[in-house]
Amino acid sequence: MPTPSASSATGLSSSDPILDRLASSDGSVKFRAIREVKNHIIGNRTKKLSYIKLGAVPAVAAALADSDPNLIVQSAAALGSFACGVDAGVRAVLDAGAFPRLIGLLSAPDEKVVDAAARSLRMVYQSKLAPKYDFFQEENMQFLLSLLRSENENLTGLGAGIVIHSCKTIGEQNILCHTGVLEKLSSLLDGSLSQRDASLESLAAIIRDNPAAVSNFVELRCGRALRSVTELTKDKYPRTRLLACLCLISVKNSSTCYLQDIGIKTKLVYILLELLDDSGQVGDEASFAFSSLIAEKEDLQKLAFEANAINKFHCLLQKHPVQPKRLEGVFLALADLCSKLECCRSSFLSLQVLNLVIDALTHEDPSVRAAACICLRSVSRSIKNLSAGRFMNERVVFPLVQLLSDLSTSVQVAALGAISNIVVDFLPHKSTFIQCGGIKELVQLTKSMDSSLRLNAVWALRNMVFLADTICKEGIFTELTASSMASLICDPEPSVQEQALALVRNFVDGCLYSVEHAFAEDGIILDAVGRQLQKSSKIEIGIQGMYILSNIASGNEFHKEAVMQLLFPQDDSGSHSFFEQILQSHDSRLRTAAVWVVVNLTFPASPGAFGRIVNLRSFGIVSRIKKMVNDSCMDVKLRARLALGQIITFGDS
Amino acid sequence: MSLFWLVIRQLAEIEAMAASKKIITRDEWEKKLNDVKIRKEDMNKLVMNFLVTEGYVEAAEKFRMESGTEPDIDLATITDRMAVKKAVQSGNVEDAIEKVNDLNPEILDTNPQLFFHLQQQRLIELIRNGKVEEALEFAQEELAPRGEENQSFLEELERTVALLAFEDVSNCPVGDLLDISQRLKTASEVNAAILTSQSHEKDPKLPSLLKMLLWAQNQLDEKAAYPRINDLSTAILEDSAV
Repeated sequence: MPTPSASSATGLSSSDPILDRLASSDGSVKFRAIREVKNHIIGNRTKKLSYIKLGAVPAVAAALADSDPNLIVQSAAALGSFACGVDAGVRAVLDAGAFPRLIGLLSAPDEKVVDAAARSLRMVYQSKLAPKYDFFQEENMQFLLSLLRSENENLTGLGAGIVIHSCKTIGEQNILCHTGVLEKLSSLLDGSLSQRDASLESLAAIIRDNPAAVSNFVELRCGRALRSVTELTKDKYPRTRLLACLCLISVKNSSTCYLQDIGIKTKLVYILLELLDDSGQVGDEASFAFSSLIAEKEDLQKLAFEANAINKFHCLLQKHPVQPKRLEGVFLALADLCSKLECCRSSFLSLQVLNLVIDALTHEDPSVRAAACICLRSVSRSIKNLSAGRFMNERVVFPLVQLLSDLSTSVQVAALGAISNIVVDFLPHKSTFIQCGGIKELVQLTKSMDSSLRLNAVWALRNMVFLADTICKEGIFTELTASSMASLICDPEPSVQEQALALVRNFVDGCLYSVEHAFAEDGIILDAVGRQLQKSSKIEIGIQGMYILSNIASGNEFHKEAVMQLLFPQDDSGSHSFFEQILQSHDSRLRTAAVWVVVNLTFPASPGAFGRIVNLRSFGIVSRIKKMVNDSCMDVKLRARLALGQIITFGDS
Repeated sequence: MSLFWLVIRQLAEIEAMAASKKIITRDEWEKKLNDVKIRKEDMNKLVMNFLVTEGYVEAAEKFRMESGTEPDIDLATITDRMAVKKAVQSGNVEDAIEKVNDLNPEILDTNPQLFFHLQQQRLIELIRNGKVEEALEFAQEELAPRGEENQSFLEELERTVALLAFEDVSNCPVGDLLDISQRLKTASEVNAAILTSQSHEKDPKLPSLLKMLLWAQNQLDEKAAYPRINDLSTAILEDSAV
């Protein structure tokens, strides 16, 4: 029997007989060889990898072009198995050019061939490596619809698999709604077990984070589709229940019009908590679904708390051994639970879950380490426990500082997030952090190439310096240096600039000695602040900058004059108006901060106040303040009146 | 199922009637039972469901011809499924694995636990046949990598390999693995997985109905004395001692 691609397969390795047999010109030898490979690799990851390495995939794929349907079926089945759960296998199958051939086989006359090809393709589409399906091409959409209309379960399953794999953007979701794919998929809800699951998962992909798609879905068949999904949350099969919950969560999260009654919310909470008991994949995924249900939603967190969720997660963590995926999910769910409510945090702490989280900081899996940090950040939002110094001890801080030099960036960022909260400490526990070498690590990270690391490191330092004593500030300042603070202020990332300014603001807050920090290295920091204020139009940057100036202006004569100099540079003719513009900002927070500067500059007891008022008047600031005494914002109004009162003590002209 | 709900309804009625234990005579009870109308087709469907799920293909075929009840699954697939089950039951595990893979290659690829149990059964058969070296090689090559992937597999593997350590396996702590019941357990696991892959319920409905009947009787016992079914195989009503 002639085999068109046999020559390419023989070239791989003539030493291994299986490759020879796969490429045999004798059809029955080849058939047995492919079947043998198939039976070796199914369920066996190690065998898959070794056959892939041997170069068996192209040889198997070549048989797709054969005329014997039995041979094609064996080949397709083997390729599907290579692609099942092993990325290297998917890559090999794609590289062997099998993908378009398998697609072609979907219209073969032999139903067995169609089934085998569809199954294989479904396996490929379960991998991220599968080629993205372009829904915007008319013929692709027609093809997808023809798959979904088919009587063959493998074909409808493939159709759903394509949607699950490739529907990611809002544009893709919308086109799938408008061309009838959504409707077709929802009709599969009444189908067989596998069709129901495929339907639920693909529906979730289409409606996720897309309010328009959600309302399309909700109105489908007068709400019958939604009712079917709701019904399936009670299904016998855990996977079906989970997928139905995911659909409903998407519907609920997309708008405030659907599924807002407490009944359904409570039901979702209970179903997901129960699904956590599943020892397999469903249980792992249930905690992630739970997170998406309660994240940012205080009412749902309350419901979950009342459903004893913290206890449930605590019990899950006690089982041994806990798989990494499970640990990650549980920690992230706990993080969401503890993100807003103090009752959740105290229950978390009283159950000693903290110990388990601390243990996980040194887990071998980076996702688990990151999740533990995120959980820690959430729990450490508790001001009560924070000020009791509950987190500022070596058991917590030491591993966290170690994670600052973790190989995974996401772990570093998560650790910085936790540290940022923990160092906002009101008692003199900050030294623990310094003793663990934390400052050095943080300063190192402010110089990272990765902007998210710089951002979070500066953020952590900012919180560290908040209300810190002189010794602590001094230690950090020496480590960080004025020049690198100045360059952080001028960082390319606006978010880093803002945090750097906030850091300076905390540095110069407090006693006279603190204010001096701004003048180190010939006032390099102050220069940078001035440049950023003139250049940036970002409100947050303006606010932080104004508070820096306000803090400095609370210092001595020299400090106040420096602020005047910065606001109204002598050598500059027209650009002094930036301060006036800030005073007229539409953002009341920025106006408040700016008026504070004026208040501190015009403080009547300081000897140079009169001179500064004269200058402020000549730059048009005093008349601006006069207009602000009736500001719509109460804060601005009160400060403006205070400033004007001070100005008037020196006479009104 | 309707039978179940009927009992429940009666239960509710009785509960409403009296707080103390009510006595129902045989005549009253039989009259109530006769009032219950169950469609013949429904009964037939239940029987067919049992035959199909349990894999009695010839009986199912005969039953279809006699009763006109259509099975909810292609009878040909039952033959394939039974061939797999039989292969496991008679210790031809490799043969069974190949048959499952021909039926649907996804089953063992997406069900690591079942795959492990089949491989474990293969190892047990090798040990049973005294092929010690082959068994060791197989355990090392095929099963050890699965144990690395999953802690509970590793524990089961250790238990199985322990068979090799005993002179008298029939009288050792892990001897149960060599029991015929172990084969049956594995065979029924494969059977269930194939059924699920065919979108069919893996358990027949009839046994769960009987369980419900027992449950309902137990509930009723607290409220009333009535002629009870104690022996499910004969379904004879027996007067309860009052």
